[in-house]
Amino acid sequence: MNLLIQEPGPQTTVQDPGRRGSLRVGIPPSGPMDREAFLLANRLVGNADDAATLECTLIGPRLEFGDARWVAVTGAAMHVTLDGTAMPGWAAFEVEPGKVLRLGPAASGVRAYIAVSGGIDTPPVLGSRSTYLRGQLGGHQGRALRKGDVLPLGPPSGGAPARVLGQFIPDYTQAPLARVVLGPQHDRFTDRGIAALFEAPYEMTPQSDRMGARLRGARVEHTRGHDIISDGVAWGGIQVVGDGQPIVLLADRQSTGGYTKIGTVCSFDIGRVCQVKPGQRLSFKQVTVAEAHELLRAHRDELDRAIHWEEAP
Amino acid sequence: MGIYAEPRFLPCGDQALSVELGDEIDREVNARVLALEYLIRQRQLGGVTETVPSYRSLLVYYDPLTVGWEELTRTLHALWREARPEILPPARTVAVPCCYEGELGFEVEAAAAKLGLPLDELVHLHADADYYVYFVGFTPGLPYMTGMPERLFIPRLEQPRLKTPPGSVSIGGIQCCIYSVESPGGFWVLGRTPLRLYDPSAADPILLRAGDHVRFTPITRAEYDAIAAAVADGTYVPRIETPRPHPPSRIA
Repeated sequence: MNLLIQEPGPQTTVQDPGRRGSLRVGIPPSGPMDREAFLLANRLVGNADDAATLECTLIGPRLEFGDARWVAVTGAAMHVTLDGTAMPGWAAFEVEPGKVLRLGPAASGVRAYIAVSGGIDTPPVLGSRSTYLRGQLGGHQGRALRKGDVLPLGPPSGGAPARVLGQFIPDYTQAPLARVVLGPQHDRFTDRGIAALFEAPYEMTPQSDRMGARLRGARVEHTRGHDIISDGVAWGGIQVVGDGQPIVLLADRQSTGGYTKIGTVCSFDIGRVCQVKPGQRLSFKQVTVAEAHELLRAHRDELDRAIHWEEAP
Repeated sequence: MGIYAEPRFLPCGDQALSVELGDEIDREVNARVLALEYLIRQRQLGGVTETVPSYRSLLVYYDPLTVGWEELTRTLHALWREARPEILPPARTVAVPCCYEGELGFEVEAAAAKLGLPLDELVHLHADADYYVYFVGFTPGLPYMTGMPERLFIPRLEQPRLKTPPGSVSIGGIQCCIYSVESPGGFWVLGRTPLRLYDPSAADPILLRAGDHVRFTPITRAEYDAIAAAVADGTYVPRIETPRPHPPSRIA
C-alpha cells in the first residue's frame, strides 16, 4: 500500500488541487503548477479530481510500487519506463507489485504529474495534501521527496485502460499564447507599456519557480512608479517592478504585494505558462472578463472530452 | 481622499476581483475591508471561494461558473453598505515578548543613531505603543502594523538584507512588522520575539490575525531563551486578551 522513492529527481513534491482559505493569513494554495495535466492524470487512473499526485520538475523520479496500481504520467514529456520497458505518456497502465517506474529528463515542458490509483495518502494539513516548500507545510514532511522516502497510498478505486486523445495533448515545444484580463492596476501603465506586453513575445528566465514566472522582454512602462499600497495578489497576476519586466505569480505566490499588477493570466492558460522552459518564449493576448468566462466554459468542456476510455469504466 | 464614496471593483483575471474601498493606509478604510470580509464569510456567499484582506482592498476569489461578474459585484455592493466597523467582533490584544538586546536586535543601535534617540528611549517608545494589525500576509503570518509614535518613523534600509531571521521585530516608514519566516527585508531590526508567528507543525499555524492589537513586552536575553524553549516544547501559551462585548453579569 505504499510507494518507495528510489531516486527523487531534483524537485518532486506531493500536490493535490491545493489549500483553500489560507491565503488570508499568508499561506498560498500551492497545488499543481499545471492544473490541466494534474487533473487528466487523476482522471486517467480513476481517481477523484482532488486526489494527490506527484509533481516532478525537469527530471522525473524512480519509484518502486508496493502493490498493484493503475498509473498515468501527464505533463512534461519525460521518457517513461516500467522495469526498463517504455510506457506511453497521457495514458493509464497497470503496474504490478515490485515494479519500478522511471521518468527521464523532460524533452519538452517542465512539470510532469504521476497519478496512482488511490492517490498519495500523506496526511492533509489545513485541508490539503499539497506541499508548500518555502513554508515547509503539507505534502511529505513539508519538503520535496528524498531517496528512501516511503509514501502511503489510498485504497485503489479500480482502473481501466484509458488515454488522452491526441488533439488534447499540448505541444510544449511551441510558444503558448496566454490570455490576459487587464487590471487591477493597468491604469498605472502607459499605453505604450500596455501595448508592449501584447506585442512581442517574452522569454522565460531560469529564476522562475513555483512562486512566479520571471519573464524577460520589452519593457512594460509605468506612468508613475511601480509601488502601490500593498494589496492581494491573484493567481496569474502579472506584477511589473521597476525594471519593467513582468513576473507571473503562481501557485506558491506571496498572498499580498506592493507592486503594480498590469493584468492577470486567465486560470485556463496558467498551466501552459508553467510548462514553458527557461529560454523558451510565450505571448500574451488581451481578453475581457466576459470573454474569459466563455473561454473557461469551453476549456472545462474540452477537459471533460479529453479522455478516451478503451473499455467502459 | 481616504474612503471612496463607492467601492471600485477591479478585475483580477477570470476567477478573482479586488474590491477597493479607499486609497490610503487608514484604520477606518481597513476596518471596512475587514467588515466586508466578515460579512462574506458569515453569509457564506455563494460562489466565493476565498478572500484576502489588505490595507484598503479585499481580494475576492470566485467560481465564475457558479456566480457571474454582474451578480457578484451587485451582491458585494449590497454587503458593502452593511460593512461598518461596528459589526466586527471585539478585537483581540496579543502580548508579544521582544528582546531588544545584542544580536537579536542587531540594528537597534543603528536605528537609534539614525533617529537621533538614546537607545533606551527608542526601546521605550517602541514597546509602549499600541499596534494595529491591518492584515496578515506576504509570507505566512506576517503582520502589517502601524501604531508607532512619529518619532520612530524611519526610512527603509538603503540596501535590503538578503536574510532576516524569523521573529525579527522591525520598523520601516510608518510601519512595524515581525518577520514570520526567513526572508529578505528592508526594515530595521530592533529585536526578536521568541514566539512563532508561523509554525507549520501547529494545528493553527498562525499567531496574529487582521484586526488584532499587538503590545510588545521587553524581555531580557535569559527570558527570551526560556520562552523560546517553552515554545519549542509546545508548553508556551501566548497571552491573548479578548474583551467581552458586554461585562459579565455579577453573581450575587
